[in-house]
Amino acid sequence: MIRNYLKIAWRNIKKRKSIAFIHITGLAIGFTCATLIFLFISFHLSFDNFHRNSNRIYRLVTEIHREDIRYKATVPPGLPNVFKNNYSFAEKVTKIVDWDEQLITVKSGDSQESYKAKTAFTEPDFFRIFNFPLLHKNFSDELDAPNTAVITPQAAQKLFGDTPPIGKTFVWNNEETVLVTGVLRNLPENTMFTSEVFISLNTLRNSWVSKETWTGTSSSLQSFALLHPGQHPADIEQVMKSFNAIYLPDADKDEYTYKLQPFNSIHLDTQYSGGISKELLWTLGIVGILLLLIACINFINIAAAQSAYRSKEIGLRKVLGGFRKQLLLQFLTETFLITLIALIVGLGLSIVLLPYFNNIFGLSLSVSGLLTLPFTIFFIILLLGIPVLAGSYPGIILARIAPVLALKQKLTQKDTGGVMTRQVLITGQFIVSIILIAIMLLISKQIRYATQSDLGFDPSAIVMAGLPDLPDEKMKASGLTSLKSEILRSPYIEEASVCFTSPGAPINGWGTDVSFNGNPGQEKFLIESKMGDKDYLKTFGIRLVAGRNFIQKDSTDEVLVNETFGKKIGINDPEELIGKSITISEDYIHGRIVGVVEDFHDKDFRQNISPVFIAWDPDRAYNELGIKINRTHAAEAIRHIRNVWSSHFPDYIFEYHFLDERIAEMYESEQQFLALTRIFSLLAIFICSMGIYGLISLFVSQKTKEIGIRKVLGGKVFNILKLFSRDFLKMITIAGLIAGPIAWYFINKWLQHYTYRTTVSWWIFILPIGCMLLLSLVIITCKGYKAAMSNPAKSLRTE
Amino acid sequence: MLLQLNNIFKWVNNGGNTTFLLKDINLTVEEGEFISIMGPSGSGKTTLLNVIGMLDGFNEGEYHFLEKSVHQLREKHRSALYKEYIGFVFQAYHLIDELTVYENIETPLLYKKFKTAERKALVADMLDRFHIVGKKDLFPEQLSGGQQQLVGIARALVSRPKLILADEPTGNLNSRQGEEIMDLFKKLNEEGVTVIQVTHSEKNAAYGSRVIELLDGRNVTP
Repeated sequence: MIRNYLKIAWRNIKKRKSIAFIHITGLAIGFTCATLIFLFISFHLSFDNFHRNSNRIYRLVTEIHREDIRYKATVPPGLPNVFKNNYSFAEKVTKIVDWDEQLITVKSGDSQESYKAKTAFTEPDFFRIFNFPLLHKNFSDELDAPNTAVITPQAAQKLFGDTPPIGKTFVWNNEETVLVTGVLRNLPENTMFTSEVFISLNTLRNSWVSKETWTGTSSSLQSFALLHPGQHPADIEQVMKSFNAIYLPDADKDEYTYKLQPFNSIHLDTQYSGGISKELLWTLGIVGILLLLIACINFINIAAAQSAYRSKEIGLRKVLGGFRKQLLLQFLTETFLITLIALIVGLGLSIVLLPYFNNIFGLSLSVSGLLTLPFTIFFIILLLGIPVLAGSYPGIILARIAPVLALKQKLTQKDTGGVMTRQVLITGQFIVSIILIAIMLLISKQIRYATQSDLGFDPSAIVMAGLPDLPDEKMKASGLTSLKSEILRSPYIEEASVCFTSPGAPINGWGTDVSFNGNPGQEKFLIESKMGDKDYLKTFGIRLVAGRNFIQKDSTDEVLVNETFGKKIGINDPEELIGKSITISEDYIHGRIVGVVEDFHDKDFRQNISPVFIAWDPDRAYNELGIKINRTHAAEAIRHIRNVWSSHFPDYIFEYHFLDERIAEMYESEQQFLALTRIFSLLAIFICSMGIYGLISLFVSQKTKEIGIRKVLGGKVFNILKLFSRDFLKMITIAGLIAGPIAWYFINKWLQHYTYRTTVSWWIFILPIGCMLLLSLVIITCKGYKAAMSNPAKSLRTE
Repeated sequence: MLLQLNNIFKWVNNGGNTTFLLKDINLTVEEGEFISIMGPSGSGKTTLLNVIGMLDGFNEGEYHFLEKSVHQLREKHRSALYKEYIGFVFQAYHLIDELTVYENIETPLLYKKFKTAERKALVADMLDRFHIVGKKDLFPEQLSGGQQQLVGIARALVSRPKLILADEPTGNLNSRQGEEIMDLFKKLNEEGVTVIQVTHSEKNAAYGSRVIELLDGRNVTP
């Protein structure tokens, strides 16, 4: 019997190819989206879930209470050892210093080769807390001794090629020679640790991060503790409240609060700048379900529309002895077959599209994520659920109809299922599509706003060249003068400035304390530092609003501040700031304000503009060289910079970024989100148009007679098309009225993340509605025109 | 006695006006009869046939079929009853377009859950009998009207019903094809199947053993 059903189902699919195509593509697309989103969400939920004791691992973090609360995923370097040695909370405590890309040089004979490798410094306990096994043996005393390292096979391949890496040496940062003592298994994708080279922390014995100091924190240092079973983090946090009184007696004791962050929550905890926000995962999940839902609605709609064609067959089958249950089963088999095909097509589509999807998100999700138990369950639920959902509705309706009427083709709308129900479903599709399009429009508007509005400085045609991290005199600002003047010699270079970091940058931020005009104590806010030479303003196009630029001297006594600093202090007239004294970072800088610059966006648009100072410190090591180049000769300019740079630092690798690209990178997650909503809205529109097509076909088949009569009575094609459009106009209007406020709510909620945001214009809501309207009219015209043109003699013939 | 209708009334309400479709129909059909129902358009012929076939209900009266009181049966049992004993033949053949000749004939057996071997034998029997073995893998649209009606009759007969109800079985056929079909009914009747047909044609009615004439839903048989 089932075989018979399958056979008929297959013949039906073959016979009505276009409908089957719509059926299958709609569902396949919905399923593809759901699959990709499923992979994405499960990837993020699986982060670091493979560590044996992950529920006992905590990260030591700091809350800084000033004007606002800041969350730092680190603690002062002195804390971890106190935590480990003076208390019995934890089995193991470890520090890891992640310095990202570092210069690694491998010497063989006379030749040497330099590479950039993601490098971290850590202790043996790191590998006892976390499960990153060695390739061929168990961990014993690896990373105990200074100047030893374990590396991943990937790094081994990069540094040493095919020769066995154990026992080999490399030079880190032209400073320390390091011996490779172990090879790790490749680190999985779903972990927060991304280094390929792990050097023993003892190697950094002279560095600030290795000191037992309690003043200051560095975001590159992270500390993890494996608590003893039965320890309560809240109790431990209570104990840690006393730390400041003991180890940091000068500080305001409530300013720094040390906390334990559960390791499992790190990836989804955006407060401590985790990997991804829970809200985004939820949003994506809901979007996935919605798309799948509208694909199912579509499926039901078209299947129901088909019932008009199928009613005769069903009536006949009833007369021939088919029972309701048998007929329902036949329908379920048919929808099951279509679902199966659609899911397989969808699966194939997901596999094909996965690389593109990975590209958008910078991920490398693999198809193997589909072979997991959760996905299998997801697949089976869909495979069984969709046919039941989509097949039973038309199935029940058709199985209920009176055979006599069906045979005479005298079924009314009431018999083949309420048009009302279908209109509600289509309206639902319209609502989802309108919301998605509106959100897409807004996100792109905000991104345009963020990347094209006046930042307060000019990021165009600026090359940021990194400077090597050298301890010697050469790196002091004075030593860089010759580098700078040589670079400026080219006609393609317009300006250059030695600096700590660019005006708007996600890197090298340094907020510190400040005292103003002899006010007792420190101000309640932190001041952002933008150290640089006198050409900083010129190079980056920062405008002065009062006073003058500082003069570059052998000591730091002239300081520039921005307008926000004045506002924070309570002085709105910039002129009043000139000449006032300022003390920065305890005793680091004592100087006076000689100029006030116009506010510029020193962070992204999510955050307020900070109080900023710009000053010159001749004894400081600088990170970057900002170079304004001639845009039309960019290639020559960069070649020139590279040559000069390499002749100054022959042992180092020249690296540069364009400042405008660096700024655009700050909106990477928005760009990703935009790319996704764009795809999703297109798909929603696509699925929606198939829904419209299904409903129009139904209308046409039900109104063939009416059209015939109207034509006989002298109705014009236009009038008949108007007849079809009326209902859709109504549905879209209703959908717009419902979708508008919902979209408005989401849009406003999303925009709350931004301190500086674009306006919500009326066209963001009107455009999607117009788009749906246009789409419907096109489909109605195409499909309805044929019906309206048909010969009424045909449609009015009764037998 | 195969079936008996006592004082059957059927009406519809159209905006306050009651229109009678069947008015006080009394009819007894014995097994082995060949009855022709005649009458002008709208006289209730098809309605009566549908009532007999239990595809349609009625408002008043009693209907006994093989000692069962149809008017007291629930819908479910009623449909079970006609599925068991009655075969239908239609003017427009009503074959399932997606199925081959073989499969069309097989369908009633599938619904009655016959075993595969049994089905094969029964269908082969029918194909043989109507000389359409060569056409068994064709789809309805590949057949002429007369051939389609042959398949329709084969399908109605395959599950060995006691009663064949035919609604103008020759209405869409030319006269030669029509004659062939009527000859077939005659033969079937002689083999013991009860036949009730609706027809417009005196000539076709003559094949039957008895004629029932309807006018405005009333039995006006002289």
